[in-house]
This record gives sequence, structure tokens and C-alpha cells, in this order.
Amino acid sequence: MKFKSPPVNSLSLEFLTEFSIGLEKLENNRACRGVIITSAVPKIFSSGLDITEMCGKSVEHYGEFWRAVQEMWLRLYGSNMVTVAAVNGSSPAGGCLIALSCDYRIMAENPKFSIGLNEAQLGIVAPFWFKDTFVNVVGHRIAERSLQLGSLHPAPEAQRLGLVDELVPEEKLMEKAAAVMAQWLALPDHARQLTKTMMRKAVLDRLVAHREEDIKNFITFVSKESIQKSLRMYMEMLKKRKS
Amino acid sequence: MSLCLPCTGVAVMKFKSPPVNSLSLEFLTEFSIGLEKLENNRACRGVIITSAVPKIFSSGLDITEMCGKSVEHYGEFWRAVQEMWLRLYGSNMVTVAAVNGSSPAGGCLIALSCDYRIMAENPKFSIGLNEAQLGIVAPFWFKDTFVNVVGHRIAERSLQLGSLHPAPEAQRLGLVDELVPEEKLMEKAAAVMAQWLALPDHARQLTKTMMRKAVLDRLVAHREEDIKNFITFVSKESIQKSLRMYMEMLKKRKS
Repeated sequence: MKFKSPPVNSLSLEFLTEFSIGLEKLENNRACRGVIITSAVPKIFSSGLDITEMCGKSVEHYGEFWRAVQEMWLRLYGSNMVTVAAVNGSSPAGGCLIALSCDYRIMAENPKFSIGLNEAQLGIVAPFWFKDTFVNVVGHRIAERSLQLGSLHPAPEAQRLGLVDELVPEEKLMEKAAAVMAQWLALPDHARQLTKTMMRKAVLDRLVAHREEDIKNFITFVSKESIQKSLRMYMEMLKKRKS
Repeated sequence: MSLCLPCTGVAVMKFKSPPVNSLSLEFLTEFSIGLEKLENNRACRGVIITSAVPKIFSSGLDITEMCGKSVEHYGEFWRAVQEMWLRLYGSNMVTVAAVNGSSPAGGCLIALSCDYRIMAENPKFSIGLNEAQLGIVAPFWFKDTFVNVVGHRIAERSLQLGSLHPAPEAQRLGLVDELVPEEKLMEKAAAVMAQWLALPDHARQLTKTMMRKAVLDRLVAHREEDIKNFITFVSKESIQKSLRMYMEMLKKRKS
């Protein structure tokens, strides 16, 4: 799966819907046992949730958008397939979530590429299920510090913290992903899948049990004028940086 | 202890209860009141916690409060220990521990409860939850705080062995985040504090609450039961004997 939504593979409602449908098709395709997720846009894996979907829209739209974010994560984190993220660019916030949700993360060993859940930098709070996914990868202490600081970790630091599993030169990334995939697919599917479910069920169930509440909370939170203001300011800052 | 709040919005709490900053009922009460005042002071966004007593951050819970006292006293004491931890671990402020001395048991808990731990890089200073060495058991919420910092495996081993980790080892295990020469400790603490305070307060606070709520709620839900359990446990003659022996050992070591 190559993310191809220039300029920055931002997770719009459209992108998320396409991603979820794609995952669903692969999941139902008995011939498909694994998926490598990467980007076709240089220097960016994914810039995360599309801020324009969260700014100046209707309450209904916020709800529809958030449901799509949840759906994508539930399908990806809960996938029976082996999922490998070949992170060939920077990956803040939602992009980081996608990588964290995979079974394995390989990143291009370029210190200019960074990855992390930087919501706090934008004045917002990562949802609890982003946090749960993060804790399951890097542990509580690192998650607690990185989330509060909204840290974007350059690739070498990300690997040191365990946020990504391996660094390779960018040109070797897909070759390495294929090798890792082969290693994971060498295991009997049913044993591997039941084990993955055992590991991830608690975290998945926590969102499933509170899905509507989580959508309501998102709508309430993002509708606040203070949050709308924070998001507008962030968009302004991005525009300035671009020009 | 001394408390100062310059106009930077960062308070400094210096434990000043010689000889060893032991957490007596009086000290815990003063500490909790101090934390409450800072929490309610809108000008105060962060607090650095350190010691004014050389070589010791805090020796932990005052054993004399747990030896040969009444059941009512044990209950009052334990409630004060819980209160201190609930306020500190649950604080909305940025909390940085500048650990400039050894820090067993309750002292370690204070450091673990902060957002960030910097320790003087002196291998003579050690830190850890050493309750097992005294023949007692760390409460489940000490354990929860510990696990959240160092992970389950390290916590399981350190707690059962009652390990006191010299500063370099503590940093290697992740029990403390950084080591610096002792003379640079406060400077480093201020720099870390500035980094954390650069984030928008509300986002940082909501995130901190999200991370810590489950562990805090577990004590809140079982607070009275936890006090009853403590009273029952500490009142046992075998435990009283262990504590008396430990106090004797400390006296001998002193002389």
C-alpha cells in the first residue's frame, strides 16, 4: 500500500475511507497474508490527520471524520495480516499512529525524518487509544514524556526509543520490509493471528466499548473555540513555513 | 521544608528535615499543604523538588511512625502518605525531582511520582524501593508508579530484591532519566522545566491526566481498604519486630 496523496499524505476523510476499504479488501482476500505500508510522496510518510477536516466544519462532519479515524485504526491495529510499516519520510501524529499500529516498523535512517505523536505541540490531546497503541510499543515512561512534550523524534532517536524497530538506508527500505515480512509469514497463520489478537484485544476493546462516547468527546473538544483557534494558528504557521 | 516561588512560575521545594528528611506525619502534612498551595496558585506552573540535607534526598517513611503506636495513629499516618502521593502523582504542575542524595523507599516514591528525574551522578547515592529488605511490602500503588517508570520486569526484580540502585545503575534502568554532576543539578532541572513549560498547559495537563488516571483511580477506589490493610499489616508482631530490628540496625550503623 503506497500512500499517494500529495503534498503530504494527510489523512482526510476521503483518504481514510479509501485506506479502510483497501484494508478490508485485503483482509477478506484469502490470498493476502501481509501488507507493507509505505509512501509514494518523497520525505513524508504521512503528515497525520487533515487539520482542514477539524476546522470550521459542522458537528456532523466532525463526527463522520472521527468515526473514519477510529475505523482505520480498528482495522489496521486489529488486522489479522502481518503489517509492516516502511517509513520513508516524516510521520507526525496520525502518521505515527499508522506506523505504531503495524506489527513492525522500519524507518529510513535519515535524521531529517522525524516521527512522533506531537498533538501537544498543536495544543490538542492525543486520544486515549493513540496513547494505548504508543504505550504498547515504547512503554509507559517514554510515552508519558513524549506525549506531554509532543516530541517529534528524528529517526535515530526513534529507533533508540523503540518507536521504530530498525533503521536502514532509504534505498534498502522495501527490500528490508520484504525480508521482515517473509520472516513473519513463515509462522503458521492461525498461531500468529491468535497470538496477535491476544496481545491487542484489550486495547482494541477499550475503544470498541467507548466508541460513540469517544466520538462525542472529540466533537465537544474540537468544537471549542480555544481548540479551533489553536488549529487555525497551526494552519497559519504551516502556510507561512511553506511560503 | 522551604518553598520559594520566584516570578518565573517555577517553585522550588527543598526538603529540610535533618538528619535524613524522613517522611514523618508532620513532614508529609507540610509537604501536602505546600503542594496544595502551589497547585492553587495560578502563577505556579511547575515545581522542582530537591533536598537541603547533604547526601540524602529522603530516607523514606519515618519508621518511628509505624512502630509501637496506636491503631489510630497508623491510620492517620497512612492516610497522610496516600494524600501526599495522590497530590504529587496527580499534580497538574510539571514536577521535576532533582535527586541530590540517596533516596530509598518513600524517597524513591516521591522521585518516581514526578514527571522527570535528574540525579547527581554520584555512585555513592542510591535509589530504589527497598521495602523487602526491611521485611515489609511496598503498597500496590508504589508498585504501580514504579512499573509505569521502569516497566514490569525491572519492577518485579527490584521490588522482590528490595534493590537500592547506585545512580549510574538507576539511570541505566530508567529509574532516573538523567545523571549530571551534582553542582549542575539545579541548572539542569531548570532547563528541563523550561522545556516542559513550553508546551500549552491545557494540552500537557490533559495528556498527563490521561496517562496517570488509571493508577490514581486504583488507590482512590480502594483508599479506606488500603488504610485498613496497612493497619492490619503493620500491627502484626512479626512486622513490628522486623521494624524494631531495622531501627536497631540503623542505630548501630550510626554509632
